[in-house]
Amino acid sequence: MARLQINGLVKKYGDATVVDGVKLDIPDGEFLVLLGPSGCGKTTTLRMVAGFITPTAGTIRIGERDVTNLPPWKRNCGLVFQNYALFPHMTVAENVAFGLEMRKVDPATRAKRVDEALRMVRLGGFGERYPRQMSGGQQQRVALARALAIQPDVLLLDEPLSNLDAKLRQEVRVEIRELQRALGLTTIMVTHDQEEALTMADRLVVMSEGHVRQIGTKRELYDHPADPFVAGFIGRSSFIAGRVTARGTFVTDNGVTIQIAEHFAEGPASLALRPERVALGDAAKGLDNIVEGKVEFVSYLGAVLDIHVRIGDHDRVIVSRPTHGAPEPVEGDAMTIGWAKSAGLVYSGT
Amino acid sequence: MAKAGTYDIEKGRGSTAASLLLPATIFVAIGLLVPIAILFRYSLNAFVPGKFMVDAFTIENYVKFFTDPFYLSVLWRTLRVAVFCTVACLILGFPLAYVLARTQTRFKNLLIIAVVLPLFVGNAVRAAGWMTALGNKGFFNAMLMKLGLIDQPLEIMYTENAVLIGIVAVNLPFMVLTLQSVIEGISRSVEEAAFSLGAGPATMTRRVLFPLAMPGILAGTILTFILAMNAYATPVLLGGPKFQMMGPLVYGQFAQQNNWPFGGAISFILMTATILLTMTANILVQRRYQTR
Repeated sequence: MARLQINGLVKKYGDATVVDGVKLDIPDGEFLVLLGPSGCGKTTTLRMVAGFITPTAGTIRIGERDVTNLPPWKRNCGLVFQNYALFPHMTVAENVAFGLEMRKVDPATRAKRVDEALRMVRLGGFGERYPRQMSGGQQQRVALARALAIQPDVLLLDEPLSNLDAKLRQEVRVEIRELQRALGLTTIMVTHDQEEALTMADRLVVMSEGHVRQIGTKRELYDHPADPFVAGFIGRSSFIAGRVTARGTFVTDNGVTIQIAEHFAEGPASLALRPERVALGDAAKGLDNIVEGKVEFVSYLGAVLDIHVRIGDHDRVIVSRPTHGAPEPVEGDAMTIGWAKSAGLVYSGT
Repeated sequence: MAKAGTYDIEKGRGSTAASLLLPATIFVAIGLLVPIAILFRYSLNAFVPGKFMVDAFTIENYVKFFTDPFYLSVLWRTLRVAVFCTVACLILGFPLAYVLARTQTRFKNLLIIAVVLPLFVGNAVRAAGWMTALGNKGFFNAMLMKLGLIDQPLEIMYTENAVLIGIVAVNLPFMVLTLQSVIEGISRSVEEAAFSLGAGPATMTRRVLFPLAMPGILAGTILTFILAMNAYATPVLLGGPKFQMMGPLVYGQFAQQNNWPFGGAISFILMTATILLTMTANILVQRRYQTR
């Protein structure tokens, strides 16, 4: 249990820079999730913290220790892998005891701690089984118990739930989160699953192309995405290309004028709109922006309805509204949409 | 009705499988078991000089082998050479197989071909190559003398060392390929898990890699041990006439002495020794690793 500081972390393979200047400061007990599309450098970052990859530049500190040049076996990081990585030739108890054996814990204490760790993941009494005799979810819990038994300074989770089916994933998700909180364990998890990230994280780090795009709580990332990438990756957004022509005025490439908040700078820009911040039909009346469009596509998602409304040659706005209540629009309907100027997020550049 | 139908399908599958296995079974029976049975019968016959083979039912040939210090020394030497070569192949081959299995380079296939390439050259041809390399005026001695490291050429040819070098070189690819395929099946993340739990490379290898690679180690050692026990061309060409091993001894009895009964007996002793040692090693290793 310790604070984890990553500073100026860089990893290059030849000319390719996989991780480029990542800086993270994770306070003791925080659950941090690294989120991003595949190839964004999140796994490489995690593996550098674990010690499997040597950074090209930068430092990693766990608590007071600079571990940048330490091999993995001297870092005291608990690791959980996507494919569980249990030792198939050892029983569950032997798997969990392995790390304690390496630390020369005496056999009596070892047995006690193995027992504790297994009960923590609700697998008390499974010690004599072999991994192959257990289900995927159970195996992943054994892997977690094995990582926790060594009382690691930092817990590292590498897409730990990807191999589990959807229902199990939700269970294990909650279980990991509760354990992490109860133990006050500093944790980094890597995932490409947005929902998983949002349900588990204290703070999220969105990465792409080796860079940290934004760090923040779920609310910060959702309400104030730092750039179009984050706006599109966390939740959904419709993007409209155009330019800010004057303070508070945005003109789309199709010539539609839209009011925006006043602090955005002039120049080419794109406007991002969250689907649930856009109102339809009568509800749009009296809002800052009212635009006429045509329903192009309606998609039923159970509780909500996604309505894709075309408002210009290049521009389509996705609006989501509760399924029940007003009659459902049909493709081809004329439709008025509207939104408050505070709902529009403007990003300069293209 | 339904039950009967299912039964028929199962039965049909069974007989298809059986008919597919038949050709190989017949081949093994005719090509291997029958000659062995005949050979065993011969080994119980008597040998009368000038009269070739006389029908009999005696263990005289086996008694002759086990009471003559010369033959016992040949058996002992063969065992010693085979065990040494197998251990040497394992020690040399494991790191090589590990690197081959784990490498990320795009030249991996090329590396594997480089390991297999020696197998394209027959034993005899390769042994001839070693002869020119290891001889008194051969490549190694010439180089070492040029470098001033030695005054007199080293006696390598026609010694046990030459045979050991030769057999290890012949058997190494078999060991490497067997180990490589098994190591490739071991997930890299299992090794990483061991590292993260505090095991250094040596401990990880001993506690995780070796036990998981054991089926490959077993298969590789059995393969190289059998090949070494039965080596023929290498001991003949590199060991010279005075260096006797079981393989050439069997050939000598059949082809030069025309003593088929004794040749048969030696063959059987060689085969039994090979099987017994292989089985013992197998059982010991399984007791140590697989029931755990």
